[in-house]
Amino acid sequence: MTSIASTRSRAHGSPETERFVPGQPDMWAFVLFEAFVFTAYFTVYVFSRARTPDVFRQSQMHLDLRVGVVNTLLLLTSSLFVARCVQAAREGSYRAATTNAFLTMLFGSVFLVSKVREWAMEIGQGFTFTTDEFFSFYYFLTAIHFIHLLIGFVALAVAVRQLTSPARRSQVIVETCATYWHTIDFLWVLIFALLYVMR
Amino acid sequence: MNAPRPESAPPAPAGSFLRRIAWHWRHDEKCELWIGWWTLVVFYNLYGLLFFVITRTQPPPEPSLDPMEVVQWFGDRRHGLLYGYALVFIVGGATAIMNATLAYSIRRMSVSRAFAYSYLVIYALATLPGMLLMGVACTVGAMRPDRDPAVMSWLYDLAFLSFEGTMGVFLIGSLIWMAAVLLDENGVFPKWFGYLNLCNALTEVVVAPAWIFQSGAFAWDGSIAWWINMGVFVIYTTAFLTLLRRMILREDFGTGPLPELATDPAAGSAP
Repeated sequence: MTSIASTRSRAHGSPETERFVPGQPDMWAFVLFEAFVFTAYFTVYVFSRARTPDVFRQSQMHLDLRVGVVNTLLLLTSSLFVARCVQAAREGSYRAATTNAFLTMLFGSVFLVSKVREWAMEIGQGFTFTTDEFFSFYYFLTAIHFIHLLIGFVALAVAVRQLTSPARRSQVIVETCATYWHTIDFLWVLIFALLYVMR
Repeated sequence: MNAPRPESAPPAPAGSFLRRIAWHWRHDEKCELWIGWWTLVVFYNLYGLLFFVITRTQPPPEPSLDPMEVVQWFGDRRHGLLYGYALVFIVGGATAIMNATLAYSIRRMSVSRAFAYSYLVIYALATLPGMLLMGVACTVGAMRPDRDPAVMSWLYDLAFLSFEGTMGVFLIGSLIWMAAVLLDENGVFPKWFGYLNLCNALTEVVVAPAWIFQSGAFAWDGSIAWWINMGVFVIYTTAFLTLLRRMILREDFGTGPLPELATDPAAGSAP
């Protein structure tokens, strides 16, 4: 969502040198590495599913696709706000950027609450971490994503601190935090497709 | 040893390996750091050899073995366990030098000393369950293979659960290192290494289900709880060994930002 542009460095506090990616290139190394790790998790999931397709299909029926869709929309909306935050910061509109960062947090928080509610619902119906292989993967993938999202709040807090302090305001750090948030969103879309959609 | 190299010191020889070692021993003010770094390199290679080849305790066996299969498991590698862990106990103390070298890298950063001290303490404690307790349990099992199979099974679980139990230590240790690298203004390590620490920390979380499952991807020998984690750990270890070497080459024994490596090969050399 955050486009690559050579004009991004105009904002106050950022270097004027031309950059090829938004934020620190180091964060992109993290994105790449996490993508590899999650690809490995997804591969194990797909192979396990291929071994016992009936178990996976039957258990998958107990998940509410509408909840998954709502979760996805919440995170996509949060990504939209974090992109708007970056754009506003580039234009020097720090107040608007901060508001967008808080809106990102709000949608992220609603996602967290929704996810906990979904877990509680599943556990209430007797589907726990050890019920079968599908539910083991369901809780594992959603929980590891949940932890990534919690770390995302730390990243957003860092971005807000940058935006609200005139002495700081590093565009690079704001974009680095936004990149992390987009990564979580990207990973969720893949998890959603695997757990809720792929039948 | 922290003083710069005296002007009278002869230039580093380009001859045989032994001559170069002798020069570094006598004249290199970074000699202790190089000893620490080489200890890390030798230890990790030895660790691989001892755990994967000699004792054959890694990759870990299945947690679901019944007592008779466990007795068989101990019997199949009895001598490997006894001789292998004898060597592990001999070299185990090297972890002190390794941890000190890693903590030194954090002390060289612009962050609080609390980071280095926390790292040092947490990894010193990790050696007990992750290596020594596991070694004791395996050795006790291998020493008298005619014990009651139920007792052997107990030792087997103790060995591998204590090994898995270090996950929390590696989790917190990686987070400490991550925070130090990201906050550091001396450029001791690149920021991507800070983020790689986060990746490593997150793979430690994934080990937690190994306490619940006895088979499948989440068991202690599973594709997620062990194989993927080991892949990440190998990349992580290779990265920090390479970066530590680079840090030592750049070290100027000051307190400010570390200088970049000079293009002149005579400016710094590794033994």
